[in-house]
Amino acid sequence: MGETKYVPSGGLAFTEEQDMKKLSDYAKEGWILAGFAPLGYKLIKGTPQNLIYCVDYHKDVDEEYFSLFEAAGWAHICSQGNEIHIFSAPAGTTPIYSDKETLMEKYEREKRQMGKWAVPFLIATLVFFFLSGMLPKILGIVSMVLGLICFIVLIFSGLPYLAYLVKLNKLRKQ
Amino acid sequence: MPRNDSLEMGELTDTAYYILLSLVEAKHGYLIMKFIEDLTDHQFTIGPASMYTTIKKLLSSELIQLCADEDEKRKTYIATDKGMELLKKEVERRRIMVQHAEQIFKSKGVL
Repeated sequence: MGETKYVPSGGLAFTEEQDMKKLSDYAKEGWILAGFAPLGYKLIKGTPQNLIYCVDYHKDVDEEYFSLFEAAGWAHICSQGNEIHIFSAPAGTTPIYSDKETLMEKYEREKRQMGKWAVPFLIATLVFFFLSGMLPKILGIVSMVLGLICFIVLIFSGLPYLAYLVKLNKLRKQ
Repeated sequence: MPRNDSLEMGELTDTAYYILLSLVEAKHGYLIMKFIEDLTDHQFTIGPASMYTTIKKLLSSELIQLCADEDEKRKTYIATDKGMELLKKEVERRRIMVQHAEQIFKSKGVL
């Protein structure tokens, strides 16, 4: 196998456009996206190409989904959990979202997904932190630890949730 | 559901309008894209993600339906009676909108 390179991602919720631009720049130098890697992307050395990259979020898609992309000139590169999909196409190909309504739905779907985690864990975090102050020693410590665990989950869902909220507001104003 | 959902409001987005229009006759996804490109002389192209999202939405609103004799990769769709009804209403709405513009243009001598 050829040379490989690892490129970190800023987190798709925060740096989607920058990530895709970066992958496109690498492709011009001959580093072609091969798949996801932990917290980033794996590239393989090949021939330089003028490619554009796009990410789509869609849960439990069927074969029709991929055949539509293929027919439109977008090659499927990789997917994570049958939900996050990356495609590439020669520069100049029609974008995967051609209207604002469906583009906004892409981020609405992700926002809802994150909200499903963020809201209950926000409540759990608050409850555990409150209880840790009320309960006697050992139980208080247990409650504090549980609260911290919930807080970590809250960070990883709440921040993307806010990022999508900002993105949607920007789109709405356009 | 997202706010300003035009399907719920009984109006069609341009994308939904053209998809529904091409499904007066049964077609599968790729043919819908080709049909719309040919029909509009490449003035209106629908991206695959917009196409997939809108097809799913038209399906769940029962404006289109899957045809029998199924094949996972080439699902074929056709407009339902409800879809045809909405399409006709939509065409009428758009016709009136164009008429309004023509009236104004005529009276102001724009055309």
